[in-house]
Order: sequence, then structure tokens, then C-alpha cells
Amino acid sequence: MKKRIALVLAAAMTACALSACGGGSTQDAVEKYGSDTLKVYNCGEYIGTDVISDFEDEFGVKVVYETFDSNEMMYTKLQAGDSYDILVPSDYMIQRMMREDMLQKLDLSLIPNYDLLMDEVVGLPYDENNEYSIPYFWGTVGIVYNKNNVAQADLEQGWEVLRNPKYKERIYMYDSERDSFMVALKALGYSMNTESEDEINQAYQWLCEQRDTMNPIYVTDEVIDNMANGMMDMAVVYSGDAAYILEENEDMGYYMPEEGTNIWSDAMVIPKNAANPKLAHEFINYILTYDASYANTEEVCYVTTQSEVYTDVTADDGMFADNEAYPIRTDNAKDEVFEDNETIRALLSELWLKVKAGA
Amino acid sequence: MKQFRSMSYPYVVWITVLIVVPMLLIVGYAFTVNGTDLLDFQFTLDNFQKFFQDTVFLEVLIRSLRVALITTVLCLLLGYPAAYIIANALGKNKFVLIMLVTLPTWINMLVRTYAWVGILQKDGLLNAVLGFFGIAPLELMYTDTAVIIGMVYNFIPFMILQIYTALTKMDHALIEAAADLGANRVMCFLKVTFPLSLPGVISGITLVFLPAVSSFFIPKLLGGGSYMLIGNVIESQFLTVGNWSFGSAISLIMAVIIMISMYITRRVDKNGGENA
Repeated sequence: MKKRIALVLAAAMTACALSACGGGSTQDAVEKYGSDTLKVYNCGEYIGTDVISDFEDEFGVKVVYETFDSNEMMYTKLQAGDSYDILVPSDYMIQRMMREDMLQKLDLSLIPNYDLLMDEVVGLPYDENNEYSIPYFWGTVGIVYNKNNVAQADLEQGWEVLRNPKYKERIYMYDSERDSFMVALKALGYSMNTESEDEINQAYQWLCEQRDTMNPIYVTDEVIDNMANGMMDMAVVYSGDAAYILEENEDMGYYMPEEGTNIWSDAMVIPKNAANPKLAHEFINYILTYDASYANTEEVCYVTTQSEVYTDVTADDGMFADNEAYPIRTDNAKDEVFEDNETIRALLSELWLKVKAGA
Repeated sequence: MKQFRSMSYPYVVWITVLIVVPMLLIVGYAFTVNGTDLLDFQFTLDNFQKFFQDTVFLEVLIRSLRVALITTVLCLLLGYPAAYIIANALGKNKFVLIMLVTLPTWINMLVRTYAWVGILQKDGLLNAVLGFFGIAPLELMYTDTAVIIGMVYNFIPFMILQIYTALTKMDHALIEAAADLGANRVMCFLKVTFPLSLPGVISGITLVFLPAVSSFFIPKLLGGGSYMLIGNVIESQFLTVGNWSFGSAISLIMAVIIMISMYITRRVDKNGGENA
């Protein structure tokens, strides 16, 4: 008898899955939002384990969750005509998409939890009135170093420590033109948003010299595991990854040069071609709840944008209390937010390709 | 045969949609100004000029050809004896050996290449074994050696299987005849077996060289971001730089180089066949 019930249940479930219905509340979801499916396109390894399933249960909807490796990849896919309801791109990419009229205006009245955002991430330069974007994670860029092998005194050199011959063949650079040129421009004392070709050329020379003298390895996400395993002495990393590395390996420290760094943020946006913008608003609002934000930052180690969660995790008994990579530096005037400039972007990517190809 | 002609239509459609149209798109993009739609085509040769003017790209191209060539030669040197042994193995052994060659290809290439990262890295498997025998750890990751190991490993089944097929299809009576006429084993191999397996060798070379010269994820994983082969340049033009026109131009240049090398191997193949 039991077997039979199980069979009937299985059949019913299959039928349900086939007809894409997800339980009692589905009808409500369709009535309320116009559809019960939400397509989310987020960066890889960028969400708490149960956040999606909790959202599905709470609202009786189905989430199609896809991930991308880089903003550029996401952009290319969108250009090819794919439709999503929620994207989580970085600041400079949001600016570009706004300029190219690819995003929908948000209706903040549908996102009451907007009030829970940290003051520091409200009205960032790329979207001053948060008309299009709600910050998801944010952070800085700095150097993760092995406290046993790198002398504190050397760190006083700032970004230039990445060209200190003592650490030849012992460093990782981040394989992205924006971050590498940020390092070089800051080391030279320029703004990372410079439009001066002369300054950019000097930065290019800085990177070429670094390549020739230091023989650095250009990596992307491998840096996280490799530094957690202590494979190198220094690495340029995003603070969120640094926080993770520091959690994993207590020999590692995080250092932000006084010459300034990049304060970046990734934010949720709704593209123009979204099929279900109403539910997308609901999702944004949900991410800003305490539980979802906490689950995200706990899992990913990137810095939350939700004020209550931030206070709690950085409090003395919070999970990131002793993690020097987690808190965000807000008192250095030289820290900047990246601004997207089409011609400069093309120039930087071409030069960066040459830096790498010349190795 | 005429009545079967209509059966080829699906194939023609298939080729047109999946091969001819993408090729035409690449040609179109290669000769147009970047960022413009193909529909309002603006003819330009800038993309090609950019490639040949900058020594950086030519260096990358030469490096790609060199790595692919080394890979192909190593695959041939390692793959031929392996294929020969398998072809001459008895009954069940033959089946097991072929399984061993093809088994890894059941697993995704990317995963297998990641496994090499684990083997070659500083605190990896290989150095652990070397350390056990008191040998100093080797710095293999992010070097030429690592990339070539990865390529040989990934592409050698293509070589072995091609040669193996050629060897098994061969008429054994010919070898016996040669032996009867007084040829020793070396002569038998050089005068009979090898020339008859040449078609397999040629297609093996093609099947290894082509993916090796345009591979981009093996150099990326094992060579690090600074190890640029032409495939990486093309990939970055499409995925990060967003210059589809330049990416297409490089692809087209590669296609022409590959076509020329295919033509040369064909000629060699033909001449080899006539001599045999």
C-alpha cells in the first residue's frame, strides 16, 4: 500500500513539474505578478545556499538561477538577446548599461527594504538616485599577503611593494585590465579614472616593468584557493575574496595601500527585456531582508549592503569581528569608484592584452 | 544512386546553418568597423592592419604555432608506439587497451585539465612523489612544460585512435610476404607497416594540430593569464574586450593559416602514397 501511495505521489509530482506548477500558491503568484517564474543571472558563487529556495517557498514561485564568470560575458549574452528579470553586474557595467538604455527604472515603492541599505551604498556615483540599481555586495581591492613572509616595513611601500624584487615570482596579479591599471595608476599617484593618455602610458610601462622584473602570475578566481593554500606571498584580490582567504588561512593578512584603492559594488538591476519585473522587485526586496542578506554574506564572505547585517557581523561577537579584510575603509579620500568611459576602456583592454601577451 | 539524393538535404541544411553561415558572419565581421551592425556594413582593413602591425600579436601567433607543433610531434612519438602495441595486442587485451585510451575522454576535458593543475602545482601530487624520493620540487605550473603536458594529454587519444585504425585495417599478409622475401622486422616496419599507416598518421596530425593551435582553456588553466596563445587573444576579443571585428579578423587569419597547412599535409600525404 505504501508503495502505491509513493507511486501516486511521484506521478503527481512529475505531472506538477511537467506542467510547471509549484504548489498551492502558484495561482496566487500568477495573479499577483503575472507569472510565477523569475530568471536571475548572477555572478558565480555569489549567493547563500538556501536563499533561492527560501524565496521560492515564501512566494510560491520558481526561480531559474544562472551564473556568469564576468560582467563582459553577461553583457555579451544579453546582447545576444537572452532575457532575464534580475542581473547583478558591477558598478562600471551598470553605468554602461544605463547609458545604452538597457535597464528599467525601479519602483522604489515596491522595495520597502530599500531603507535598510547602508548609507555608504545609497546613491553611488554611477546611479545617484538609485533609479536603476540596488547594491548587492560591495568592497575594496587590496593585497592579501603572507604575514610570515612579507615584512610589515615593505608594505609601507604601498602598491609599489608589488614590484619589490624580494618577492620576485611570489606574487599574483588579478587578470583584469581595470584592476591592474588601478594598481599601476594608484602606485604612480594618479586617479584610476584618469583620461590622460600620458598617465595611462606610464601605468602601462609600470605593468610591463613589473611583468619583466617580477614575473607575476595573472590569475582570476584561482587566486582564492591558491592563496588560502598559501601558494604565494602576495596577491591583488577583491576584499570579499580576501575575507574568505583570511577565514581559511590565519597566516594571511589584508592590506590596503594609503595611495587609495577601488571601492566597487555589484548591484541588482532589472533589464529592459525582463519578463517579470514585478516579481523582480519582490526579489530585490527579499535580498535586503535580514535573513537573506545574512545568509549571503555568511556564505560568500563578500560585504553586505544591509545595515543591520553589517553591524551584526562586524560587532565584537560577529562572524567577521576579527577579519581585517571585511570592514570597508570609508575615510581615505584617495579611494575611488570606477567610472566607465568607452574610449578609455578600449584603450586599457588593448594595453592589458599587450602586457599579458608580451610575457 | 540518384534516388538517395534527397536524403542529403538535411545534411546540406545542417552544414549551411552550422558551418557556412557562421563562417560568413566571421568574414563579415572581420572586414567591418567594430561596433557597427553587419547590416550597415562599413568596409575596412583596419583589423588586419592592426594584427600585422603589432609585433605582440605576431609573437603570440608564432608561440601558438610552436606549442602546437611540439604537441603534435610529441603526440606522434608517444602515440605511434602505443597504437602499434594496441593493434598487435591479442583479443581481450586489445579491447582493454582501447578502453584505457578512450576512457578519459568520457570525462569533460575541462575537468581533466583541472586535474592536471592539482598534479602539477607546487604542493601537488607530482611534487609530493618527487619529495618522497628526496628530489627538490619542480616549478611546473604556469610554464611551457605544463601547457604542453596538458595539450599532449588531452589530444593524444586522437592520434592513437587514428593510427590504430590505419594499422588494424592493414592487410597482414603484406608483412608476411615481406618477411618471406627476407626483410627483417625493422625493414618490414619501415617499408610496409609505416607507409601503409601514413593516412592514419596524417589525419592524426591534423586532428591534434588543429585543436592545439586554437586551444584557449588549456593555456589559461595551466599557463596562467599571462600565457597567451592565439586562442586566448580571440577569446578575450569576444568576451572581455568586446571587439568582435578584431576577434573575427584573427579567426580568419588563423583559418587561412590552417587551410594552408592542411593543403601542405595533403600534398605530403599524396606524394607519400605514390612512393609507397
